[in-house]
Amino acid sequence: MSFLGNSKELLLAYSGMKKQSLSHAVNIMLTPQFYTLKKESLPLKYLYQAKRIAPSLFDGFLGDSQKHEYFVYREEDEWVFIAYDMEAISEFLSSKDIKPEQVAKIFFAQQASDSFTAPVLLGDKEALVSLNDTVVVIPQGALQESSETASFTDAFTPGTGVTPQGTHASVLSKKQTIGLAAFFTLFAFMFFIEGWMYSHDSQETQEEMQILLEDNPSLQSQYSRDSIAAKYKTIDKNERRKREVVKTLAGMIFKGVKVSTFQMNEKNFKVEFICSDAKVAQRLVQLAKKSEFNSAKTITGNVVHIEEKL
Amino acid sequence: MNWKLYRNELIVAASLVLMLSTLIYKNSQISSRSQEMSSLKHTVTEFRELVSLQKTWANKNISKKVDKLEKIVSQSKVKWSKKGKKLTAVYKGLDPKELNKLITTILSMAVQIEELKIARNSSSYDVEFKCKW
Repeated sequence: MSFLGNSKELLLAYSGMKKQSLSHAVNIMLTPQFYTLKKESLPLKYLYQAKRIAPSLFDGFLGDSQKHEYFVYREEDEWVFIAYDMEAISEFLSSKDIKPEQVAKIFFAQQASDSFTAPVLLGDKEALVSLNDTVVVIPQGALQESSETASFTDAFTPGTGVTPQGTHASVLSKKQTIGLAAFFTLFAFMFFIEGWMYSHDSQETQEEMQILLEDNPSLQSQYSRDSIAAKYKTIDKNERRKREVVKTLAGMIFKGVKVSTFQMNEKNFKVEFICSDAKVAQRLVQLAKKSEFNSAKTITGNVVHIEEKL
Repeated sequence: MNWKLYRNELIVAASLVLMLSTLIYKNSQISSRSQEMSSLKHTVTEFRELVSLQKTWANKNISKKVDKLEKIVSQSKVKWSKKGKKLTAVYKGLDPKELNKLITTILSMAVQIEELKIARNSSSYDVEFKCKW
């Protein structure tokens, strides 16, 4: 049992194989009956470049190129291109009672060309051999009578292979998967930022409160805060009222109106205006009532008197 | 079971779980912070207001500022009495311009007006002003 390598059983799939009865997942190695091979010496450095040009190499060779997928790897100085029809392969495997979920990885016989030092028999009629580093299927009759045959074992398992995309089991296509995953991730990101902003906002307010408390140590206790607030709020309210009254009264002085007396203390105020005539006095009373000095009244014709509580 | 066959579903499920987790995180932040925040913001606002009120009505420099009221008109017209944090000032014979200037200055000062009396005397004005701070 290997903990590092691929420890699954390797099954050789060929067109004349018998039906299988599997209780576990296996790796599949396909014979050339299921793929088309091309070897090319191309001045390419990277695998992705080779994968990109793979479809164009098989132009005209494959019946329906839309259905094919490509497996590419480098073999010494050459690039090896393998075209395969996953749908046809899956159908074949299903016909041999190998369910899609039982296929762990798919390999191609060409990948193990070095392991085919002797022919591997495929049933009664055919054999798999490596000719000039290319694995091919030949009739057993073409083999020399004296030639030894090799058994197919797990040792043929190459390093890399194709992982089935689960086309049969999966409900979602690759595009749908990317779209949905991107959508959910985007929302996840937005929710996280929003949540983080809430916690950050709270921290800022707490820091501000801490700074205010440090700058004003006398206000640290709630009791002293309440008592100071009560004292200064009352002073502020009363003093603002006094100043407002003086400003309003000053605004009521127009041509023909003069202040005779004005008195203001903590609780109330009274003022007496001398007007040039009764008409002006009447106008002043109206103006005073508009300013909500409802106690405004005329005394002796041209004198207006206002007395109110603060 | 070959999990690789369900890789697409697993990816979508993982991103969905991620989204739901962050949604729960956001909602928990909102519910736990909103109450705390509103109370804290209210306290900060009150605190600021209190500090501002204290700065206005308990200003240590106000005593010096009040002295301006003595020099606002010529010395002959002023009777000045300042004891501790209390002031009694009596102004005699102010013309309307001087009266306006004096009243404007008084109103702009953060002092508690205890008494303000203005009396017209033919063409001039007499003022009596008492305040504390």
